[in-house]
Amino acid sequence: MVSQQERDILRAEIRSRGNKLSAADRENLIKPYLPDPSDLPQTRPRASTATSATGSRRQKARKTPIRTFIKSQIHRLTYALTHIIFGIIVRLLQAYHAVVERIFAIVYHHHRTPELIRKDVRGLKRLPQHLSIILSLRTEDDALAVLMDEVAELAAWSACAGIPQLSIYEKTGALKSCIPALHQIINTKLASYFGSPSQQPNLQLFAPHHPVFVDTSNSKSEVPPLTLLLLSSTDGRETLVDLTKTLAEMSQNGKLSPEDITPELVDAEISEITSQPLQLDTADRSMADIIKPEPDLLLIFGAFLKLDGYPPWQIRLTEMYCTGDRSHGLTGYGEAVEYQGFMRGLWHYAGAQMRFGR
Amino acid sequence: MAGSMHLSRLRNWFLASPPIEFAISNLKELLVGALRQGPIPQHVAFVMDGNRRFARSHGIETVEGHNLGFEALARILEVCYKSGVKVVTIYAFSIENFKRSKFEVDALMDMAKVKLSQMAQHGDLLDRYGARVRVLGRLDLLKPDVLAAVNKAVDLTSRNGDRVLNICFPYTSRDEITGAIRDTVDDYSTPLQTNGSARTPFSESHIAHNIRAQNLGTRPQDSNSDSGSTSAESSGHEDDSPQNEHRHRVYESGSSFSSSTTLHLGQQDGQHQKNGAHESLNGDKPTFMSPENISRQTLSDHMLTKGTPPLDMLVRTSGVERLSDFMLWQCHENTEVVFLDVLWPEFDLWHFLPVLLGWQRRISKSRQNPDAEGNFAGDSAESSEEDIDTLARQGKVKAI
Repeated sequence: MVSQQERDILRAEIRSRGNKLSAADRENLIKPYLPDPSDLPQTRPRASTATSATGSRRQKARKTPIRTFIKSQIHRLTYALTHIIFGIIVRLLQAYHAVVERIFAIVYHHHRTPELIRKDVRGLKRLPQHLSIILSLRTEDDALAVLMDEVAELAAWSACAGIPQLSIYEKTGALKSCIPALHQIINTKLASYFGSPSQQPNLQLFAPHHPVFVDTSNSKSEVPPLTLLLLSSTDGRETLVDLTKTLAEMSQNGKLSPEDITPELVDAEISEITSQPLQLDTADRSMADIIKPEPDLLLIFGAFLKLDGYPPWQIRLTEMYCTGDRSHGLTGYGEAVEYQGFMRGLWHYAGAQMRFGR
Repeated sequence: MAGSMHLSRLRNWFLASPPIEFAISNLKELLVGALRQGPIPQHVAFVMDGNRRFARSHGIETVEGHNLGFEALARILEVCYKSGVKVVTIYAFSIENFKRSKFEVDALMDMAKVKLSQMAQHGDLLDRYGARVRVLGRLDLLKPDVLAAVNKAVDLTSRNGDRVLNICFPYTSRDEITGAIRDTVDDYSTPLQTNGSARTPFSESHIAHNIRAQNLGTRPQDSNSDSGSTSAESSGHEDDSPQNEHRHRVYESGSSFSSSTTLHLGQQDGQHQKNGAHESLNGDKPTFMSPENISRQTLSDHMLTKGTPPLDMLVRTSGVERLSDFMLWQCHENTEVVFLDVLWPEFDLWHFLPVLLGWQRRISKSRQNPDAEGNFAGDSAESSEEDIDTLARQGKVKAI
């Protein structure tokens, strides 16, 4: 809101590294843009020198009650108007995106065929090595079953697209309590995509502080294995708190001085939590490389991008993509996990645009 | 090409003409005033990305791009503070940025120094408007002259309240988290005064001692209650030590670093050696705060952003969709992260307005009917967690 003329003066002054204008000059320059001090809430009690000033200020404020009233009414009206207009625009955009989404859903459908999914990602310049997805548990009765089905679908798509590592974040940690059941469901889903067990990727399912759940029955599969990591909110900030507790205790015992705590130490400790525990079976260890602790891409199936308590340490350089408020703008509660949303995230990561027609 | 340049010049001339300028500034004024009527985020963070790219695409020097970026910052700060945002946190300089060309780093440092010292010249103005400047980050990495300017500006405004500008100067979030952990550990490994032990209502060893005594059918020889936990512990030392040793073992096997860190024992100051002396005397360490009291709130209180409201919104410009080591801890459950495809020097109210409106829409909707769309699923869960946190804090206060 600074006028062009004064902006030029300021820029010239910046170029001369602040030698051109004196402090008083600068103050005069900005004076017209400062709000009237009487508009500010007087929270701090001023020193005695200011009492007379506040007295006169109060009088000044009293002088224009009608003007301030009208002003606030105008503001309220504008607020209502802008929100009505904004709401209409948002609804229109949602409708538009919903239509586009439906078209994508028809054009890009996986038909449970790995070849089609592979074809969809073939043109992409890069694929995430470690994909992380934030899901939310709904409130219905069968929420857990729905969630497990979503996880199974995502695992199947990732396996088809050639993403070796997938981590699923769900805030409450409900998934962690049923790892064997989940493993069963995912294997069934993979079978429905890949067919016979020999063509099906070997699935490793694990969560921090839980043993690796791996099915060794078909270790002779030709497809690269899929590692699935389950995360919950306790693996984030709580883990850092636990680490602090341990370190504090060590320091109290005189085993460590606080100066020894470096980002490298914390990083090593935190990465250990999410990385795969070493397996005793040597045959498995050869093909299962340690999971990359930092995800490359974080997909959020939701209306807007919120991290929902995702582990903070690991997402330093993670690209984030939110599928947005598109498919079911009116049904509420989270977004359905849909194939085109997943694909859009991958395409976005590769810096490409999705088009109509494969 | 020439046509477009003429066009842009014409447009600039048009926009700079007094009536248009007046109209635009009044419109902005009106919109900001209107924004005030609704809910407003209390804490907004910005990643000012795109200055260099802007400079490159407009054929100007990088330093000039940073200057334009500063203008954009001033514009957006005006919008924020006028519409009622309490705290603005900006990512001015990353620790990683020291790897950039020396020329650019020096220019940035120079700019920071000039701006901060200019700010210090307007002490009374800042005082009147109650703006407080805080510089977050590794100040020890700065050159002495820049550091002096930083300290002067921070000192000058430290008594002001209300509106806060957090400048993350040489900052990375991992460094901040590590620092918070380190400070917490430091706090918890400072021995408390022995008379403070009276605040611990029950002592573990005393209870263990009592149980043992009951099992044996005899009364414990020391009948002093919770207030004398130190003496109780010293008497209960023998019973307690196996369990204690077990705990030590757990930690030694739990961390691969303990063996290497014990090498530092010699470097440690007398405080720790004193602890060692205490240890040998008491067996347990009653003079420390219990690490079990450490909660998320404890760590949050040790972050550089302590004392500020929780982060409501994080805006990153230039279309890069990463946090880049900024505010990792502070992006809690409901922080809205916004990535805008606009370079920072071009960033203005017009880009920010839809974001703010969307936020207001969501918040007011979730307030009206908590079950409708746009509501954070974890609203109730979070409040209960907060309750636990406050409980833990109270517990901690009691424990101290």
